[in-house]
Amino acid sequence: MAEPLLSGRGLAKRFGGLLAVSDVNVDVFAGEIFGLIGPNGAGKSTLFRLLAGILPPTAGSVFLDGRAITGIGAARVCAAGVVATHQIVRPFRSMTVVENVMVGAFFGERPRPRLRSQAHALAMDALERCALADRAEQPARALNLPGLKRLEIARALATNPRVLLLDEVLAGLNPTETDRTVELIHAIRDAGTTIVLVEHNLRAVRGLCSRLAALVQGAKVAEGEPAAVLADPVVVDAYIGRSTLVAPR
Amino acid sequence: MPATVRKLVAGLVLLAAAAAVPAVVPGWEYALDTLFIVYLYGALALGWNILGGFAGQISFGHAAFVGIGAYATALLAGRGIPLWLAIPAGGLLAAAFSLAIGPPTFRLRGPYFAIATIGIGEATRLIALNWTALTGGASGLTLAFAPGIVPQYYGALALCTGAVLLSWWIVTSRFGMALAAIRSDPEAAATLGVQTTIAKTQALLLSAFVCGLGGGVYAIHYLFISPDSVFGFSLSISLIIMPIVGGIGTVAGPVLGSVIYTFIREQLEANFQNLDLLAFGLLLMAIVLFEPLGLIGAFDRFTRKRTAPMPPPVRSAGAGDG
Amino acid sequence: MNDTFDTLVNALLAAGLYAVMSYGLALIYGVLKIINLANAGVLMLGAYATWWMWSAWHVDPLLAPLIVIPVFFVFGVAIERTLVARVLGQDPIVSLLLLFGLWLVLQNVAYLAFTGDTRSIDDAFIDATFRFGDMQVPWPRVYVFAMGVLSLVALEAFLTRTQLGRAIRAIAQDRDAAKLIGVDVARVNAVAFGLGIAFAAFAGSLLALIFSFGPDFGRTLQLKSFCIVVLGGLDSIVGVAFGSIALAIAEGFGLRYMPASLQNLISFVVLVVVLIAFPKGISGMIRSVRNARDRA
Repeated sequence: MAEPLLSGRGLAKRFGGLLAVSDVNVDVFAGEIFGLIGPNGAGKSTLFRLLAGILPPTAGSVFLDGRAITGIGAARVCAAGVVATHQIVRPFRSMTVVENVMVGAFFGERPRPRLRSQAHALAMDALERCALADRAEQPARALNLPGLKRLEIARALATNPRVLLLDEVLAGLNPTETDRTVELIHAIRDAGTTIVLVEHNLRAVRGLCSRLAALVQGAKVAEGEPAAVLADPVVVDAYIGRSTLVAPR
Repeated sequence: MPATVRKLVAGLVLLAAAAAVPAVVPGWEYALDTLFIVYLYGALALGWNILGGFAGQISFGHAAFVGIGAYATALLAGRGIPLWLAIPAGGLLAAAFSLAIGPPTFRLRGPYFAIATIGIGEATRLIALNWTALTGGASGLTLAFAPGIVPQYYGALALCTGAVLLSWWIVTSRFGMALAAIRSDPEAAATLGVQTTIAKTQALLLSAFVCGLGGGVYAIHYLFISPDSVFGFSLSISLIIMPIVGGIGTVAGPVLGSVIYTFIREQLEANFQNLDLLAFGLLLMAIVLFEPLGLIGAFDRFTRKRTAPMPPPVRSAGAGDG
Repeated sequence: MNDTFDTLVNALLAAGLYAVMSYGLALIYGVLKIINLANAGVLMLGAYATWWMWSAWHVDPLLAPLIVIPVFFVFGVAIERTLVARVLGQDPIVSLLLLFGLWLVLQNVAYLAFTGDTRSIDDAFIDATFRFGDMQVPWPRVYVFAMGVLSLVALEAFLTRTQLGRAIRAIAQDRDAAKLIGVDVARVNAVAFGLGIAFAAFAGSLLALIFSFGPDFGRTLQLKSFCIVVLGGLDSIVGVAFGSIALAIAEGFGLRYMPASLQNLISFVVLVVVLIAFPKGISGMIRSVRNARDRA
């Protein structure tokens, strides 16, 4: 088996008295689309942020290509080739669409472009891939939610990442938009970028991911092929159990 | 890009006109004097704007840097150092000071940053007031010699032009893009690879340097400096008002603000002591309420570049840094 | 020994004024989440109003608050409704700049109306002192301290026992949750701001009993207020009380070792030290600890 591209060992994150993630090992291999699923509060967003370098872990390490990248900060993790999008979109509202993506182009890929014209070209490439090129000069504020989500992706793509982490990128999209985004994700993977997804849309996950890990209450309870994981009784119980409306007293 | 070329040509024309003034109106000291103030305050406003407008970190205590530059220049000149060394030394000293206070202040969230800058401005004033051995305390310092009004005029013009060029470079550079991202959303900027603390510190250094140089130029013009004049809160206030009124975060805005500021001061200060500050307070409130991007923003709107006022481009200092 | 006692007593008395000065800041920040930079300006206007009523109409300065407080409350509500409410949704820096502009206006209106001359109230009460141990304690300072304590008690009672007060606390804790349970946020904003302004003006009234002042006077006190709210908590009334005492004691003891003109530097030093040690302010740190503990 090849070496994993991105991996976490013994990752744990504590917020005060709450242990959000406990002792999780996860491996992501180059070229795959890896999914993180679990009910709300399971810790998948936290694990996601640990892998992306947005949060430092309370314990454990994150490795990229065998090199430790734990705790070096989000900016340096991005320079190393790992970039994450945000669950709640965070466009730079005072900038245009292309300017938003230029930020990614300027500060991600090494060697970094020096001139705005260079970054602009790279940004337009990313926008083309995300079907946003025609809206390049519009203010970012003018986009609707699906557009903003694709802007997040385009911006991340412009950093030329080796690993792209997508946080609930399908949330809030109607079926047509969901399908378009799924196509886009496939296209990104086919172009050579490894992808890690946090997702609630289990139908999409089944079709999209080559492998899944399921988290329940901060611990990994299942891992493997989507069909197997989604049929795993522990996973099913976690989802169904959580969906009952009356909490036992 | 025609727009850039147009701006460049306009700038060169203005520069040529400005350079020609002493030749065209020889001996008209009042004009040279007034323009000197416009250039000097324009440079100071541009300096503040680098940190406050481009980087979005609103400082209420920027007079600290002006004061350091002024006193450094005065003290060095008093020891025989030529002005062309003393003034840049003042700028460098101000920049060094900013490097010392930058990192701890940038850690502050939300309103704490603004409060801290007020405190820093006041503290430097109090130190200058009480460190009598070095600064002469409340009696201030006088300079024995300074060049005539014409060299001063060109000096201030050079400083202002330099500040304009620096600002223009920032706006068109990768560095400027980093600052714009930080201004908008520092955490998101960090996830895209922007080193936010480093970029803010760089902006602070440039800002402090320009304001320090301005302090030196101030000293050689007025020949007398005191803690209240160069470290005073009124000066810090003016450094905020000019860019905001003119157009925060733009290149032309601070200069425009300086023109307006100087004009209002000239007109009102003669008649009523504090009517000018009252006018500025009202102006500030009006801008904040109705046209956050200042006069440049209003101008852009009327030439229909935008259809509705954009939200203010600044973000509270330190909020949610990455 | 006696010296320390004297210092402590003086500090305690000073704390009273500082506290009344800062309650308004805390109240406004707690509800509207903005820093009222115009606080110093209102402070100064309250002092001027009191002085003027005494000098023009011979109104007893001790009774002046009865007029000053309601008038400035209305003024505060008006400011909130017409100006502040418009910028509340935007980035906090906008309200900061707006209130900063207002401060400039207030300060210079005072300059124009009253000129830059120093004013003070000369009244029999002002100069009266009494013996306490071997100290001559000026009555006004005791009075101001008493007002400080009274304000604290009244404010706490208001916040805990009246419906409006509870609404204020609800919003301060969690604005969205408060909206969900039906609190009229707009009305509470206006009242809270009005109260904040009224307190500042009241403090100004008290200030007029102790100090002679000019239009610039508010600024130094403003810095002390900031120091206090940073120490005690931007939105905690009791925290303000403690912060006032802490600062007053620091100043009092500092005075014994350094010249008077440096006294104001103390508040800055305290401010800087605290902010460096606790970038979120002391109350922010306490809140983080409390949040973390609650999640367990």
